[in-house]
Amino acid sequence: MTPLALAWRTTVRYRARAILAIVGVAVIGALLFDMLLLSRGLLVSFARLLNAEGFDVRIVATQGLTRLPIPDSAALAQAVRAVPGVADVVAIRAESADVRTDRGSRRVTLVGRSGTNANPWRLVRGPGLTDAASPAACEAVVDRAFPSAFGADVGAQIQVTALPSGQSALPAIGCRIVGIADFGFSASGEHTVATTMAALQRAMGDTREGDAEVILVSTAAGAEREAIVRAIGRLRPDVRAYSNADVVEQFDRNGFAYFRQISVVLSTLTTAFAFLLVATLLTVSINQRLGEIAVLRALGIARQRIARMLFWESALLVGVGALAALPLGGVLAVGLDRLLRQMPGLPEGLHFFVFEPRALVVHLAVFGVTAAASAAYPIWLAARLPIAETLRREIVG
Amino acid sequence: MTPADPERRPPIVDVQHASRIFPMTAGPVAALRDVTLSVHSGEYVAITGPSGCGKSTLLHLVGCVDTPTSGAVLFEGRDVAALSEGDRSRIRLTRIGFVFQRFFLLPMLTAAENIELPQSEAGAPLSDRRLRTRTLLEYVGLSDRADHLPSQLSGGEMQRIAIARALANRPALLVADEPTGELDEATGDHVADLFDRVHADGTAILLVTHNPTLAARASRRLTMASGSILPC
Amino acid sequence: MVAAAALLTLAMLQASPAILVSRQLAARAHLKVGDEVTLATEPNGGRTATFRVTGVYEPTPDPMRFTAQRIEARLHLPDLIALAADPRDPASAEAIGAINVALTDPSGARAFANDVASTVPTVVVRPAADMREGDVFAVIDRFHVAISIVTVVGATAFLLALMLIRAEERRETIAVLRLIGISQRSLLASVAVEGLVIATAGAIFGVALALASERLVNAYFQARYDTALVFIRVTAPLALRSVAVAAPLGVVAGIAASWTLLRRNILSLFRR
Repeated sequence: MTPLALAWRTTVRYRARAILAIVGVAVIGALLFDMLLLSRGLLVSFARLLNAEGFDVRIVATQGLTRLPIPDSAALAQAVRAVPGVADVVAIRAESADVRTDRGSRRVTLVGRSGTNANPWRLVRGPGLTDAASPAACEAVVDRAFPSAFGADVGAQIQVTALPSGQSALPAIGCRIVGIADFGFSASGEHTVATTMAALQRAMGDTREGDAEVILVSTAAGAEREAIVRAIGRLRPDVRAYSNADVVEQFDRNGFAYFRQISVVLSTLTTAFAFLLVATLLTVSINQRLGEIAVLRALGIARQRIARMLFWESALLVGVGALAALPLGGVLAVGLDRLLRQMPGLPEGLHFFVFEPRALVVHLAVFGVTAAASAAYPIWLAARLPIAETLRREIVG
Repeated sequence: MTPADPERRPPIVDVQHASRIFPMTAGPVAALRDVTLSVHSGEYVAITGPSGCGKSTLLHLVGCVDTPTSGAVLFEGRDVAALSEGDRSRIRLTRIGFVFQRFFLLPMLTAAENIELPQSEAGAPLSDRRLRTRTLLEYVGLSDRADHLPSQLSGGEMQRIAIARALANRPALLVADEPTGELDEATGDHVADLFDRVHADGTAILLVTHNPTLAARASRRLTMASGSILPC
Repeated sequence: MVAAAALLTLAMLQASPAILVSRQLAARAHLKVGDEVTLATEPNGGRTATFRVTGVYEPTPDPMRFTAQRIEARLHLPDLIALAADPRDPASAEAIGAINVALTDPSGARAFANDVASTVPTVVVRPAADMREGDVFAVIDRFHVAISIVTVVGATAFLLALMLIRAEERRETIAVLRLIGISQRSLLASVAVEGLVIATAGAIFGVALALASERLVNAYFQARYDTALVFIRVTAPLALRSVAVAAPLGVVAGIAASWTLLRRNILSLFRR
């Protein structure tokens, strides 16, 4: 009978405690797995959102999060188009606005983009913006939830009043909805209306061409993004150009520290917790079975075999628990993700818990080590057991 | 096989002026004092004595479960104290068979698996193990209880399975510590009969017992008191 | 002459408006009280004004920005407006972002907020102590509670397993007690008390461990992120809550683990 078979028999014999131990490991393991998902989840999700927009470089006026107009943005956009490796350029400006329909008036984010084929949103319905429309006309692409919230779908007319400083006496402009789109960074519960830069400027009452706040650049396949970033820096040293990787790195350093830290802390704690609990359980279990161990030693069963049997007992409890932790962790992650996404202002498409194969590998490795470490002390106990004294105690006890 | 004159054969185990002292918080306790004893191949030796006289301690030294504080225990000519725990373990596995008062069958294994376990440890092939196990189950009269767990067996049945387990690797010496201590008289007699049969088949037996009927079946009877073997 | 020059220098120095700089800014720019600094509002260095550093302050820790380097300064409002207002927009010299109000009677904050909101409907008025449903820290608080619940569930499973082992160890003892006539109720009470003691002792030990680690954790993160923010605080209500959650779990675990032993046939408990 192999050590694994002996361990299995022991586990089955004491099935109530084994089941409870496995449940305990599964629950703690689910938490560990989720913390591993959380450790880079926000970053991975953010990077996916960025890359999904289809643009690889972003140009802003300043370092940091403050939105300021980029001086001479139109000229800059033109110059960037000429940089080798650049596929398309779009200039973006965003303002607060009120949209009025038959159902009433609500606040939206009004986004204006310069004429281009590329859009920083994904059209799901409708023809979308056509730059061939007359300058007096206003076309609008709205978010998915807009039709149900405002009662206005593709083809409908809406009245848009820009609110550049919260209060406004600007006249409303009429826009026709020409498309429904997914806006990657649109927050849950908030609405976005995208139109041309010209229409936005009309809504703002700008008599001259205003400046964009961000210029998005898509690169041709095979183009080196860092070289494009450097070229933009040479063109205009007063602006800041970032590749998507740069943006992600900045957010990694400044924006996600809390969740990274808490995932490290909780991962460490849950690992220590699992080790402590399994080791305690095994030790108490061994102490209860010292007579059995002494008999095995008296019969001539080698210490190494007994050690392997105890290791397999630990591995069975921890291994089955760790595997059960994966689906449990998945369910828990969905719940925790839903909870955390209640934070105000979070982009709809952003998730805190994102699966990466690396998380699975780390999870299994951690529990592999935990199984071995948890068995160490019970194995030491069994190896050092004074056979005669234990047998005597068993008979007397 | 019939036992030849045991005195002519070299001793399986030779205890030479062995003492065993246990350090206790209240002071050291000498469980064995200067004991000399030899058990030869094919012998049937019974040791009797009051509780606490050192019988089990002597058995543990002979069975290579413990080592003497002073003196020597030679098993088949090898000084047990000088051996590594691994070597002692090997002796216990292949040369000695243990029978305990409380049976000590592994509760999670069936009767057959309990018998097979030492053979598996000794490296016997599966087919050999299965055959030997069947033979031993027949030997002890429990072929129909092979797949039963110890919790499903009576005390006498458990002890018979324990004897079968002790014989699994064809030991030179069977060591039994109060084998009928937890059994009623009738069941104890059945177990005693089994020991007779084992002895008749050539295995040396050293047993410790309070049971005078069991002791009377041995070819040599020794009495212990206060850690020493009393002169005959 | 010297006195006049000194007076003139003093006058010139006193002419620069005063600012306070954050400790982090002072360290980075090697500033000290009395230094003159120039602030610019445009990225190209345009629209500047000179100020005199009159103090260094420790920024109020902001949990939302604890990783950010607090490179900041505080100005008198007229100075900030003069520096930063858009000259093309006359209204920008009149506009501010927020007004903080300290009341003589803080308990009237809500009534005051309602009054202001009804009088000036275009502003948002909120008592500082309010935590809105969707507030970030309310969400994080719920997240922490969820994690705690999961941890307690896992620990309870293990506690049950351990209590089962303990009950099994004392199987014969329980059998003897029942045999000699000790009632099941008495035995149940004793295992309940035992579970209560173990769980309470464990919870108290846990609180002690939390208190010990509180200082270490705060010291580490405060040094790591150069902030005065307190990350962990073990309060009396929190400690009491921990014990209050653990105690009944211990009782339940003890009773659940011993239940079958107390209900089984006595003689069957003697059999191995």
